[in-house]
Amino acid sequence: MQPKREDKMTTTNESQSGWVRATAIAAAFAVPAAFAAPAIAQEYPSADETLDWTIAFGPGGGNDIMARTIIEILNTYDLYPGDISAENRAGGSGAVGWGYLYAQSGNPYGISTTSGSFVTTPLQADTPWQPEDFTPVALLATDDLVLVVNGSSEIETVEEFIAAAQERPMNIGGTGTVNVDFIVPTLFAQRAGFEFDYVSFNSMSEQTTALLSDALDAMVGNPGEILGLIESGELRPLVFSGQNTPAALEGVPTMAELGYDIGVSMPRGLILAPDAPAEAQEWWINTMQQVVETPEWDEYIASNTLTPTVIYGEDFRTFLENTKNGFEEVLRSVGAID
Amino acid sequence: MDIFGDLLMGLSVAITPINMLYLLAGAMVGMIVGVIPGFGPSAGLAILLPVTFGMDPISAIMMLAAIYYGAMYGGTITSILLNTPGESATVASTFDGFPLAKKGRAGPALVMQAVASFVGGTVGVILITILAPMFAQVSRSFGPPEYFLLAIMGMLTLVVMIGKEWKLGLISALIGFALGTVGVDLETGQGRYTFGSAELIGGIYFIPIAIGLFGLGELFFAFYQGLHKTGSGGIIQYENEERFWPTAQDWISTRMTMARHSVLGFVVGVIPGAGATIASLMAYSTERSISKNSENFGKGEMAGLVAPETANNAASSGAMIPLLTLGIPGSASTAVLLAAFLLWGLRPGPLFMEQNPELAWGLIASMYLGNMALLAISIFAIPLFVQLIKVPYRVLGPTVVVICTLGTFSVHASFVETYLMFAAGIIGFFMRLYGFSPAALVLALVLGPLAEEALRQTLTISRGSFMIFVERSASLWIIAITIALVVFLPLLNRFGKSAGQAEKAGG
Repeated sequence: MQPKREDKMTTTNESQSGWVRATAIAAAFAVPAAFAAPAIAQEYPSADETLDWTIAFGPGGGNDIMARTIIEILNTYDLYPGDISAENRAGGSGAVGWGYLYAQSGNPYGISTTSGSFVTTPLQADTPWQPEDFTPVALLATDDLVLVVNGSSEIETVEEFIAAAQERPMNIGGTGTVNVDFIVPTLFAQRAGFEFDYVSFNSMSEQTTALLSDALDAMVGNPGEILGLIESGELRPLVFSGQNTPAALEGVPTMAELGYDIGVSMPRGLILAPDAPAEAQEWWINTMQQVVETPEWDEYIASNTLTPTVIYGEDFRTFLENTKNGFEEVLRSVGAID
Repeated sequence: MDIFGDLLMGLSVAITPINMLYLLAGAMVGMIVGVIPGFGPSAGLAILLPVTFGMDPISAIMMLAAIYYGAMYGGTITSILLNTPGESATVASTFDGFPLAKKGRAGPALVMQAVASFVGGTVGVILITILAPMFAQVSRSFGPPEYFLLAIMGMLTLVVMIGKEWKLGLISALIGFALGTVGVDLETGQGRYTFGSAELIGGIYFIPIAIGLFGLGELFFAFYQGLHKTGSGGIIQYENEERFWPTAQDWISTRMTMARHSVLGFVVGVIPGAGATIASLMAYSTERSISKNSENFGKGEMAGLVAPETANNAASSGAMIPLLTLGIPGSASTAVLLAAFLLWGLRPGPLFMEQNPELAWGLIASMYLGNMALLAISIFAIPLFVQLIKVPYRVLGPTVVVICTLGTFSVHASFVETYLMFAAGIIGFFMRLYGFSPAALVLALVLGPLAEEALRQTLTISRGSFMIFVERSASLWIIAITIALVVFLPLLNRFGKSAGQAEKAGG
């Protein structure tokens, strides 16, 4: 056990040479781990080690809520024996937090939750890491989108929408560009054979305002954030991008049901530091299988209108790679990245 | 619209013991921030933002709002006792406030300013209660074209209101716009001036800039003026005055003044880019021109203190309207308040009150309570603030530097932002020295990206045609109002400024 750890330490230092801060952090973690190694070598996780949980965004955001929900469940059901220290390391759209975890290569006690930026930030900035570098634990849920029009619109169904858009190009609003909000309608339009102008907004409420003021023809958004307006009839849902329509949107078809499967969504999952020991990965996979069975988790999924999509271990790595490649292809074809 | 029902619901949210505690803390901090010269509500708010991270959103927002309007109360104490305005919005309060104190009427002046502030603030909140839901209704017809025009309106009003130095103001605004272009371009997703740095993907955050410009910059300027050398010797003693409470005459002669300037101040506050400073100067000059005792103005006339005090508080309430119903800040301090909402994942706008009724009405209800608390604090805690004024600036100064640094770092735990804050502090000093406008820079940094995005969204929607601005009736209205403001405001402003300068020279 011990030689293996030493091994990992060397690789860490080599791969990070030149990146002084990262190395310093890595060394700081590697040294106590090496001293502690003989005593705990048999068992993961050790009750003496504090789990260092990185939240790559500020308090209150989607990533923060997910991380704290999982930690709460771990504590409530006594699933993790030691202490868990969760820290918000926000900055650079996740680059800072995940960079911090990346620098802990081989450490089984560094962990983090992912969100959309986990795929998009490396496409935009020179991050030293790529999503597939980390040790994958599980994809737990995906964020999917619903296409809506103004409640007073003449368009009642998605078929009418496609027909109208084929006649006269529509404009569709979404949040951000290097984002699933842009990718989903782009792929959907390709499959369904219509053209549209994408109008990007900074936030869901800005684009909702624009749609309600009749400046936009349609928009895509996370159903959770506009459910109230859908229920009150001010917005009309046409089609959903996920695999199963959530209960709140009953009767709305999915893109796949129409025969226009697009196969991308934002991954909400759990990762360990790169090259984390296999037993750590295995332990977390087993634990997460218990976490997703709890009523608290069901409640989290329901209140955030996420699509429960569970994939474990290496399959999650493949998923991340595919998502990244899909995004890269679409973004490159429209010139958003080079 | 059942306003009373909503307000009662808001009251039930606001009145929990823990929320009341935060509200009082906010009011107290607001007073303190107001009292410290050169340390305004925008810097105070920005620094205290991270403190609220562990709180409930409603407690946090209530507390931050209390700091914002509380500063208007505190700023006057130094205006009266020291002839040094604690705040730019209380400059007009020195014109008659200080002469009153010199005449041995500091006590009545302090009490009357508290009452005037309370009346202005409370009338302002009543008007918010009535008008905000209506504004929200109107603003539902606003899309990107209207947002672009509103942002332009805000910048134009701000620059026009600077008056003689408008060119420097314009340059300041352009620097703000330039800084606002850093970050990922929303439409194409390409990085602009990010140099591949992940820290700059999100653009230059305006909070460190605001803390630097308004916190450190003003501090350096205060030292440059030698504030650290002048002790508190100039402070007027009020303890030995024969009468602390105002006379019946004081009340009677100023009741109409309060009524008038509550409304005037509120209206000026609603206009993006105008705000409390302008409202107070305008109120002073209007009051002087319609008063029967106009020759006493500048020599210690109570109405001359009451008018600007009522107006600046009413204006700070008025500024909440565009903030809550449009999500457009009209000043640097409301921009920081907006940032607070955003940090909590709340996006003010036309749908905000409808979708977050508890938060919106809780905040509005808390402003009634906050103003009451501030009235009590600013009368009964005066000795406490006098002690604070007596703290030498050479002690206060370094403390402010430490607080600014900690405050900036704790927002995102970012070194880059901390360096930006120090750089902004140095730039802020020179801006003050040469008459540039830090407020214009900060507002442009916030409104610039908003205007750019809205314009590009508009043109994508209209497929490149500018006709969309005259085809939508809401756009046409905004254009008409903007033209009216740009024509009329400078006239009023000139009127206000010249009155102010005359008083300064005379007093």
